[in-house]
Amino acid sequence: MTDTSANRTLPAFVLPHHPIRDALTGSVASIAITFAVVVAVGYFMVGAKFLSFGNISIIGTFAIVPLFVGVFSGFALLAGVVDLSIGSVVGISAMVFAFLLQAGWPIWSAGLVTLVMCLIIGGLNAIAIVRFNADPIAATLGMLTALRGISWVLGGDMQMIAAFNMDLWSAVNSQVLGLPLFFLIGIGLTIIAAVVVTKTRFGRHVQAVGGDDRAAARAGISVTRIRTLALLISAFGAGLAGIIWVGQLGSAARATGLGLEFQVYAALMIGGYSILRGGVGNPIGGALGLLAVAGVANILDLSSISPYYVNIIVGLLLLAAVLLDRIRGGDAFE
Amino acid sequence: MSLDPALAATTPAAMPLKGRFQGWSTALTLLAAWLLVIAATGLYRHDFLSHQTVLAIAFTMAVVGVLAVGQGIIGISGGFIDLSQPACIILSSLVAVRLSEAGLPFIVVVIGAVLAGMIWGAMNATIVVFAKLNPVIVTLATNFIGLAALYLIFQSAQVPIGSEIHSLGRASFFGLPAIWWPMLLIIIVVGFLMRSTRYGRRTTAVGGSRIAAQARGISLKTTRYVTFMAAGGFVGFAAVLFAAAAGPFNPASASTTQLNVIAAVILAGISLAGGRGNFWMLLLSVGFLSTIPTALVFFGLSSATQSIFQGVILMIAVALDGYRARRTGP
Repeated sequence: MTDTSANRTLPAFVLPHHPIRDALTGSVASIAITFAVVVAVGYFMVGAKFLSFGNISIIGTFAIVPLFVGVFSGFALLAGVVDLSIGSVVGISAMVFAFLLQAGWPIWSAGLVTLVMCLIIGGLNAIAIVRFNADPIAATLGMLTALRGISWVLGGDMQMIAAFNMDLWSAVNSQVLGLPLFFLIGIGLTIIAAVVVTKTRFGRHVQAVGGDDRAAARAGISVTRIRTLALLISAFGAGLAGIIWVGQLGSAARATGLGLEFQVYAALMIGGYSILRGGVGNPIGGALGLLAVAGVANILDLSSISPYYVNIIVGLLLLAAVLLDRIRGGDAFE
Repeated sequence: MSLDPALAATTPAAMPLKGRFQGWSTALTLLAAWLLVIAATGLYRHDFLSHQTVLAIAFTMAVVGVLAVGQGIIGISGGFIDLSQPACIILSSLVAVRLSEAGLPFIVVVIGAVLAGMIWGAMNATIVVFAKLNPVIVTLATNFIGLAALYLIFQSAQVPIGSEIHSLGRASFFGLPAIWWPMLLIIIVVGFLMRSTRYGRRTTAVGGSRIAAQARGISLKTTRYVTFMAAGGFVGFAAVLFAAAAGPFNPASASTTQLNVIAAVILAGISLAGGRGNFWMLLLSVGFLSTIPTALVFFGLSSATQSIFQGVILMIAVALDGYRARRTGP
């Protein structure tokens, strides 16, 4: 880069892309800082206990379901089709899986049927949104309600289905290196998703479709195919999380996953995603957002502060995160 | 219609005839769907066609209808959705309860609740205008914060038995619940204001195209403040009806109403993207949606099944709306 070209085109301080520098200024930067602040606050308020393996294991256990939901539904956000039905999909998946287990089905076939059902739900979302051009928020709000109703009916008078399975319970609640196995799997999935999003053709197509669907279509990308796949992935992840839920608790209740979609999306937005604008965000940022929220909940719990403050802090963090994103060059409203 | 330059310049479908035809088709579809539900249930169970049924439907309609007016104002002006209505209505209801507990006259209770709603709306508008953040995210966050804060303040509240607001919830007028009539009046008046006054048309114009509206000298900031505060005021008034008719309520009591309200607005053809809609249609959509729970009970289905139907109806309505927009849109 010569002096003349630097003067003509770019300010002098703009440097070529570099992974570390990109990480400090990119979409993950603010969540990395938020995450560090949460850890620091936890350390000062709770003490060294906050960072002990035992406590991280507790945080991790609570974070498993949101982590699985978040990693997969992040694809739908990236593709510009927010899927609000994920909370209810977790609920119906848990209910149906528990129902089949109770009816004596083996784990694998029950899980397979449950996941196929969730893919069908994702397909229905896709038909409404992609085929019929329905508004994603409103359409998946409809799906959310309908599925919640089905969970309610399945729950019956008991309002829940007990389905304790020793094999499943010990698998889901097993520990590796002092941390929950499924928490580590969730982290692993996050890293895989991050590689898929940034390094593969599919991931770049998803980002392109979410960023500007018309431009993507002109570039020869099938917007229909990408968005359909993104919605299927989102429903699949929620289905997986529902099965894990049953494994963790040994039962499914009609209120399982109620309001989870807003909890997860608030955390994902704190982590750099946007529910209104596709193409922004990164699975690692999203996972850090979910962990930051889980960390806040844990700090309040250990300090015996009312859990209602979690939502107040999440709300404030959410506003701060989108404001920061806007200042950094995101879309301003009006 | 073309008398107003702001609207004429911002309505992309400059075909009044077609627009009117679409309005009629929405009305006829809603009416047909509503009558179908009534007829089917009435044929299955003759005792469905009773005064009790009418009362049950009217009770549901009252709160949902007034909330839908607030939601519609946000939608038609380009604010998309106010997700903070559940927190706002509980806040205003709590204000109404506390004021009536203090023994203040009914009118003070109403004014207090409406003011609480308007202050809430002004707070949302302030964040939207000054931080330049999208209303959907702002109201999502303020709903989180608001409901959590309300839980810190109270767990359960109820209007004092024997107070004026309590007897309002049990009074009836011309065979319908007393709380139904203010809803009817509000929908008719707001529908008229939005159609036939400059302010209503300006609000709609901002939703249609904010750039064009701004070019015509309409202030976006003022519009946001006015729409959010008006919508908040309606939520505050809905809170009076809610507190009057509901028994003891807790901060989560209004959360399930949210979806009914959004569904009613979409079914009424009030575009969430802004710039299009007729508030009078809310009478039909709210009536139709409020009939479903009662009808299902008569079919012997548990009241839990109502959300299945409501969800499916919402999805179909949104899909048809999107399909129509693509067929007729640019």
